[in-house]
Amino acid sequence: MTCPRCAHDTIDTVTTSPVPGVWDILQCVRCLYMWRTTEPDRRTRREAYPVEFRMTPADIETAPEVPVVPPLLYGRNEPNRPSRTAS
Amino acid sequence: MPHDDLRSFLDTLEKENQLLRITEQVLPEPDLAAAANAAGRIGEGAPALYFDNVKGFTDARIAMNVHGSWRNHALALDLPPGTSVREQIEEFARRWDAFPVAPERREDAPWRQNTQLGPDIDLFKVLPLFRLNDGDGGFYLDKAAVVSRDPRDPDHFGKQNVGTYRIEVIGRDRLAFQPVPMHDVAQHLHAAEELGEDLPIAITLGNDPVITIVAGMPMGYDQSEYEMAGALRGAPAPIATAPLTGFDVPWGSEVVVEGVVESRKRQIEGPFGEFTGHYSGGRRMPTIRVDRISYRTDPVFESLYLGMPWTEVDYLVGPNTCVPLLKQLRTEFPEVQAVNAMYTHGLAVIISTKKRYGGFAKAVGMRAMTTPHGLGYVTQVIVVDEDVDPFDLPQVMWAMSAKVNPQDDVVIVPNLSVMALAPAANTPGITSKMIIDATTPVAPDNRGHFDTPVRDLPETPEWTDRLRALIAAR
Repeated sequence: MTCPRCAHDTIDTVTTSPVPGVWDILQCVRCLYMWRTTEPDRRTRREAYPVEFRMTPADIETAPEVPVVPPLLYGRNEPNRPSRTAS
Repeated sequence: MPHDDLRSFLDTLEKENQLLRITEQVLPEPDLAAAANAAGRIGEGAPALYFDNVKGFTDARIAMNVHGSWRNHALALDLPPGTSVREQIEEFARRWDAFPVAPERREDAPWRQNTQLGPDIDLFKVLPLFRLNDGDGGFYLDKAAVVSRDPRDPDHFGKQNVGTYRIEVIGRDRLAFQPVPMHDVAQHLHAAEELGEDLPIAITLGNDPVITIVAGMPMGYDQSEYEMAGALRGAPAPIATAPLTGFDVPWGSEVVVEGVVESRKRQIEGPFGEFTGHYSGGRRMPTIRVDRISYRTDPVFESLYLGMPWTEVDYLVGPNTCVPLLKQLRTEFPEVQAVNAMYTHGLAVIISTKKRYGGFAKAVGMRAMTTPHGLGYVTQVIVVDEDVDPFDLPQVMWAMSAKVNPQDDVVIVPNLSVMALAPAANTPGITSKMIIDATTPVAPDNRGHFDTPVRDLPETPEWTDRLRALIAAR
């Protein structure tokens, strides 16, 4: 099985339907796309998945960071780092 | 009587014929989202939708479109369902003046009935999750009231924030979420990440209808949403202490999810069909580790369809965007009469104002852009005279067409901030903004030929009554 969105071939089963055998929820371990097996082909099959929503490994790696991680105020072992309990 | 939880509000909607139970079996996708999408396309007065027969589930209960018409919005505010939009907004503004109303703490919250902890946590066992739009990267929680505190001032009740943010389920105990930098939770996360600390968070789902309204309301950073909920309800908002974080959460929630935003971590998220009518993403966004879920027995999962306006979100964030802008503008400019910020959460805004002197209307427009909400929205402001109703779009178009000299009345300011989802920005987060001054110039601004306006004849009101009476007597 391949991911409809990024074509990766490692897919996890996240959960299965409470009524046994009706559907599974699957997830691509690379792009995190998640889908239910009973969804329409346009969401579940690579060949039918819309081009505008497809993702490549480069898309994932270069995706903008929102929000940007700020610089640390103090070094991890900074002696002057304020404690939550200090006032 | 104000509603203390979602269930009692659903009962009210049903009594008022504003809740439709879909009893025949539906598919989780695409039926649930398509039905809620359709609710926004069938004209005024659409009901809330309730589903409890969803293929593959044994005990799903799903409520959608709960705020998705003016009738439902009126009932959420405990007003008669036929209350006009303008009357709803005026009543909203009137109740605002009671702010702050202290909340009432009740520790017998029904969501204490059931708990999932540690390795037993499985969001899919509690919530019947489903996809909304085709390009969405997964299943979303899009109508939660998310509670966080300022790590620099954790005991400040007003700085404790209650807000609605898009949240993607990326695992049984993992979420990704979107703190838009202009929103309060982003300030909390920024402070925590500067210290290298996780940010504790409580995500409350299925709330009373006023909590949902205040969670989507652009209030001041240190103003408490619970104290505003009390003002809007006309009674204290019931709150309880979340067991893991100790945060104040709504007493009436169906589900309370607690955990932490993992410090300095980002993971691919989205896309998601947004309130702008466009998808956004995928971007690398913060992740949440879920550590505890508390929930009522037989929880109702509330979700909201959003896409090309109008959909439920437009009703939900219409009045609650107009009123804060009106109040914030009036603080400095009491000349402001009314604000219509109902378009895409106030990306476009119409303001009616009296003029103190020439150039004043443009100053009001600029001030709207520099309110807390304006920093992320208000890309276009149309300013009209005090006798133009900003909710009456034909009147607004008359003012635009007759009063505007584009050379002098259209002001464009480049490179201002906007929330990153605004699709027209070239660089996400940066845009130009525009003021259209459609007011009548006043001295010393003596442009144009406006000194002889045609006014309704003095006898017109009398004839209005006569015509109405004659028509009624036919």
